[in-house]
Amino acid sequence: MAFFEQEIHDAPKTFLSKYVFSFDHKVIGKQFLWYGIAFLGLGGMMAMMIRWTLAFPGEAFPIFGHFLFPATNGVVPPDTYAMLFTLHGTIMIFYAITPILIGAFGNFCIPLMIGARDMVFPTLNMLSFWLAVLSAVILVASLFTPLGGAAGGWVSYPTLSTLIGSPGVGQTLWCLAIFVLGVSSTMGAVNYIATIITLRAPGMGYFDMPLTVWGLWLTAVLNALFLPVLGAGVLLLVFDRVFGTTFFLAGAAATSGSGDPVLFQHVFWIFGHPEVYILILPAWGIVSDLLAFFARKPAFGAKATALSMTTITVLSTVVYGHHMYTTQMSPLLTQSFMMLTMTISIPSAIFFANWLGTLWKGSIRFQTPMLFALGVVFVFGLGGLTGLYLATVSTDLYLHDTYFVVGHFHYTMAASVLLGGFAATYFWFPKMFGRMLNETLGKVHFWISMLGLNGVFMGMMIVGYAGMHRRIYNPYVYEFLQKLIPINMFITYSAIFMGFGQLFFVYNFVYSIWKGPKASQNPWEVGTLEWTIPSPAPHYNFDVIPVVKCGPHEMGNPNLKGRDFQYQTEELA
Amino acid sequence: MNLYSLYMKFFVMNAHAAEMSLWDRMKPPLDISTNGHLIDSLFHLTTMLILFFFILVCLGLFGFSYLYRQSKHPVALYVHGTSKKHIAIVAAIGAMVFIMVDMKITGISNRDYMESFAKWPKEDKDVVRVQVLGQQWAWNFRYAGKDGIFNTEDDIVTLNDLRLPTGKKIVFQVTSKDVIHSFSLPNARIKVDAMPGRISKMWTELTTTGLYDIVCAQICGTFHYRMQAKLRVYTPEEFDKWQDQMGERTKYIMEKDSADLYWGWKWVTNN
Amino acid sequence: MAQAMANLATKTMSESDQGKEIVFSVAMIVVLVSFAMLFATLMMGFAMFRFTAPVWPPAGMVKPSLILPGISTLFIILSSIAFIWFEKDTANKKGLILTISLGVGFMLTQSLFWHQLKSNGIFVSSGIFPSIIYAFTWIHAAHIIVALGLLLWLLFSPTLSTTTKSKLRATSVGKFWHFLGIVWLIMFLTIFVL
Repeated sequence: MAFFEQEIHDAPKTFLSKYVFSFDHKVIGKQFLWYGIAFLGLGGMMAMMIRWTLAFPGEAFPIFGHFLFPATNGVVPPDTYAMLFTLHGTIMIFYAITPILIGAFGNFCIPLMIGARDMVFPTLNMLSFWLAVLSAVILVASLFTPLGGAAGGWVSYPTLSTLIGSPGVGQTLWCLAIFVLGVSSTMGAVNYIATIITLRAPGMGYFDMPLTVWGLWLTAVLNALFLPVLGAGVLLLVFDRVFGTTFFLAGAAATSGSGDPVLFQHVFWIFGHPEVYILILPAWGIVSDLLAFFARKPAFGAKATALSMTTITVLSTVVYGHHMYTTQMSPLLTQSFMMLTMTISIPSAIFFANWLGTLWKGSIRFQTPMLFALGVVFVFGLGGLTGLYLATVSTDLYLHDTYFVVGHFHYTMAASVLLGGFAATYFWFPKMFGRMLNETLGKVHFWISMLGLNGVFMGMMIVGYAGMHRRIYNPYVYEFLQKLIPINMFITYSAIFMGFGQLFFVYNFVYSIWKGPKASQNPWEVGTLEWTIPSPAPHYNFDVIPVVKCGPHEMGNPNLKGRDFQYQTEELA
Repeated sequence: MNLYSLYMKFFVMNAHAAEMSLWDRMKPPLDISTNGHLIDSLFHLTTMLILFFFILVCLGLFGFSYLYRQSKHPVALYVHGTSKKHIAIVAAIGAMVFIMVDMKITGISNRDYMESFAKWPKEDKDVVRVQVLGQQWAWNFRYAGKDGIFNTEDDIVTLNDLRLPTGKKIVFQVTSKDVIHSFSLPNARIKVDAMPGRISKMWTELTTTGLYDIVCAQICGTFHYRMQAKLRVYTPEEFDKWQDQMGERTKYIMEKDSADLYWGWKWVTNN
Repeated sequence: MAQAMANLATKTMSESDQGKEIVFSVAMIVVLVSFAMLFATLMMGFAMFRFTAPVWPPAGMVKPSLILPGISTLFIILSSIAFIWFEKDTANKKGLILTISLGVGFMLTQSLFWHQLKSNGIFVSSGIFPSIIYAFTWIHAAHIIVALGLLLWLLFSPTLSTTTKSKLRATSVGKFWHFLGIVWLIMFLTIFVL
């Protein structure tokens, strides 16, 4: 359990040491939250431009169009379009979702939920955030280079991402930004893993940890293992671009080439598939906890859920080949990857059953965090099941690189993770800022997001099945895609609807930080350790390190008097 | 008036657009190959299976949410889901998904892949062989011509214009000059990546004559969306006639010194 | 449970130090696994090129002479041994100074090696084999430079050998140094010798 007790330092006094270069995990978590929300807005704007172009090709983008693209009278030009979807992907994955779920809630929740006073290496934690900022600066700077930012897709396959396909310095800066971010995330991961192993409160075994911590911990393990793989990949890509090595160059255009572009795909997906789970595991953990908290009963089969998540973590490292069926690996490899990918559905089915089991005979309170958590169950059900089409090699031959893939991974990586992130924001906001978010605005936000995102991503799967392939500027140069104009317009309207819905959240968030009603110590009436201390959490969290005596979701126990939950610090009733 | 035509009228602002039903818009392009139906039927089977499980999830999600809302069901049942019965139910659901869905579609997909898509036809006289070279942003096609050997003077070389016969097996060998492309025939339901430095292959057999689109499916630069070629499917007789015509023309076009025209490679046989 | 609380309250100084030792070794395991994944990826790339190539080294290439890389190997092995000697008695800084000088010797040999390659007409851009040699040794050397910086930091930190924390720092830096030695050995054996 706790291997040593952290000392209590004095609270920092100056503005710089308190809010900017803070060692406090809670402040770093909030910094990551702001960082992530800012990039979520930027990535969302890019998505709007992409959607606008697909629905109304050749029409000026409203409001900002003439300002951003004066040369084309406000129409998004094709080279900018390529840049937009590249950076939309990069920003959403690495600069929005990762900071929000792993950076913000990882930092904020882990020490609080395991009863520690801070992360085990606070300096490393601060360094991790500021490296992420450095990386963001590099990425944004790449937009202002002469030939613009990276435009080779977020996967940046060579040889398109070498000097043959993208001569500008933007792609090099993209690689550097990803490398720096990788270093930052790895630092964070080292910290998370060490903290969870060594700083759990006395009495807290691994299965007494809330499932949120489980999710974050498994994510950190995957991060520490696989971000260096991506790091090596982009490093070699930078060498190819800057020093003239020929790792990924081949074919007629490579003057001295004998490298292999497919090597990068292998390296990228060895990282890239676990990355999918890096993003979703925290959301799974959060949802597993919230369902139990708001159904007022213990998480159904919590141990099985934790073990399924672990199984998926292990399996996720050996299935990456399903992204590369069309590169024609040997049939034996293709078959094995298909089989391995399919086995992921067993643990997934198990925790789905557990989630529904948690709801079964509960006493469900439909507060905003719960709505978002239920939303995750719905959209992840759709997203996970549609993965089956892409895991089977023959249907993938048709669906690979179509919008069906886009719809599928947005359901799993965008919709579920984003809803999970919102659930977490609504849930931990009182502990972060000491105030409550407005429930009505939260519910409006939920329903708009839910309807909007289903319109968008279901639409994407439909146009994908109808044959529309990815990353095309104007689908209607193809005759067989012209019938899709109305559906694409519908997707765009849904996207705009969903985008406007986020204004409710922004208003609610900003207003409530200063003007929201003061939160009590335990507004949701749950028993995990962070709710045993005042809201907002005080500097250095726990005056006395708590001793854990029961599991995280002990609710609805008939022996309890006066309330239906008990704190983890209390002996099981 | 249903929702669909209302949407067409007020949002798409084209009432005639509603004449094509939503269902028709959602359909994939016409299947013109002998193997395409394998993919379509597996797609439909998968859809049925996942719909079954998704409906189960929804029943649980919405049903429990309705039945056990706090106002109706104020006291939650205190269970941890760790009893033998509960574990058995959960394990059964996991096993059910694996057996009903995974084993089934993996088996079918495996069979289709090994016995159709990755089973290369014997290359005898009846097989049409085409070399495909992707470049930014066009498709080059090369037929061996009369002598049956690639990269010789009587090769038929076309740009963005692929012509194929029905009823014959067609084998493509695909590569790329510069960046990675993906040679995709949506109407035949197949695609394969065109990668510089590697030769990938694909085969199909077509059934229906007509004019279709060929697509580059992998992002290959700014004008990726314009990397479009046309596929003209002929009857075998028409195809032979076209080949003869092109053979005549080739005599004037192919010059011995123009090295650019000899981009083909030695055919890699499967036999 | 109550026992655990009591234990925590009465934890003596040395127990807390032991705790910190565990924390540092857990963290170092994760750090080294991360670095190992980076180098493993590079080695995977090498293996892919090595085993798919019909002839190795690729046509027109010869393997560089083993003399300079051999000297590098000798330097880095000796420096690890010197560090082990230093760890036995951290008060005696001679071992640390020896480690650092041998490390600098390694870097000097490496730069001589790059120079030799260049004068033999093997440039970074002359194909996949030089690409591998240059890029991998560069990446390794970059790590060596960082590690040398850490060793210098140990050398000049005034509290060395007095507090547990700095002892832990010394062992952690040592682990990193040994790790880089092992990585070099693997690279030497696979890329240069085989």
